[in-house]
Amino acid sequence: MHINWHLRELNLKIVYYGPALSGKTTNLEQIFARVDPSHRSDLVSLKTHEDRTLFFDFLQLELGRINNLTPKIHLYTVPGQSYYEASRRLVLRGADGVVFVADSSPEKANANIVAWQDMEMHLASFDLTIDQIPIVLQCNKQDIFGALPPVQIRQLLHIVQVPSLPAIANTGEGVFDTLKLITSSVITQLQHQTTVVEGEA
Amino acid sequence: MTTPDPRASIDLPSGVTLHPSQDEAIDRLLHDLLTRSPAKFILLAEASGQLLSALGKRSANDLVALGSLVAGDLAASQEIARLTEQSQNYHLILREASETNTFIAEAGAHLVLFVQVNKEVPLGWARMLIHETSRQLAAIVAARPEEVEKLDLGLSEEKINRLVGDGLDSILKG
Repeated sequence: MHINWHLRELNLKIVYYGPALSGKTTNLEQIFARVDPSHRSDLVSLKTHEDRTLFFDFLQLELGRINNLTPKIHLYTVPGQSYYEASRRLVLRGADGVVFVADSSPEKANANIVAWQDMEMHLASFDLTIDQIPIVLQCNKQDIFGALPPVQIRQLLHIVQVPSLPAIANTGEGVFDTLKLITSSVITQLQHQTTVVEGEA
Repeated sequence: MTTPDPRASIDLPSGVTLHPSQDEAIDRLLHDLLTRSPAKFILLAEASGQLLSALGKRSANDLVALGSLVAGDLAASQEIARLTEQSQNYHLILREASETNTFIAEAGAHLVLFVQVNKEVPLGWARMLIHETSRQLAAIVAARPEEVEKLDLGLSEEKINRLVGDGLDSILKG
């Protein structure tokens, strides 16, 4: 988070995390396509020749004022393939909130578990647990045959507190609901945290 | 130059709050660097990629995107240094090209400084100024302002949800 009191800007960083090909980049592409260009940046994508995310995708959105502060939301994705572990950790650094994009295909159940554990490990390297940072679970690809329902994916990941949403990112379904939920959670938590910390000082 | 714990430069929190007095001091420092080097273009971003300031001839249309790339570039370089056990404070990347030299410098734990200078500017001179500016930027951010304004928006969770929802709906096309 970065606050510029002079410009009354509240800058937030939200990272889309998840296994390879779960739909992280698709979420950003849908947001990019549907938001008025005057309220968003270009979509930056660092990709390989095979069109897979090499480092990160990036998109900034600017919302209208909330109580005299203008929220600017910086959206990042991580590369999902296993050998980009170091890059994922870098992108996760400084995140105010995380959207975990799970692949609902039954055969990807283990990939979701591995990616979730990978995320927990990286958060721990920043002295964070999943209870200390807002996280939303997006259960993507709900349209495929035999898709696991969100409740089953939550059980697989041993999630209790994290809210979850079904989605079909390539049609846009659930994409904005996810973004609204994580943004609200981040702002609520930041307001609470800042007040508590300064009250203790 | 000291050699800290190799993980230190990565593990520090990146949250920054800039107050008007700090903002003005940073602005003066960057203008000074632009004039003294002289630089073609300067960009300052927060370590997580958020753009703070840009001065000079703007070669990029999308400065916000550039900020994210500059921070990503430095972060990758820092991580390479950490993995090869060469991690040190005030990391600096230099890219030499036929007409312009580009520097990307770590300015403390929170900021990234991007500077482009003409090929005619001596490298040593530019490097010295950028190092000095980086140190001063880090000191400005580290200084605690006299008055700290709370983030408290005075809103309930329910109202934040509604405002964020309305805010996102309002920026959709059509």
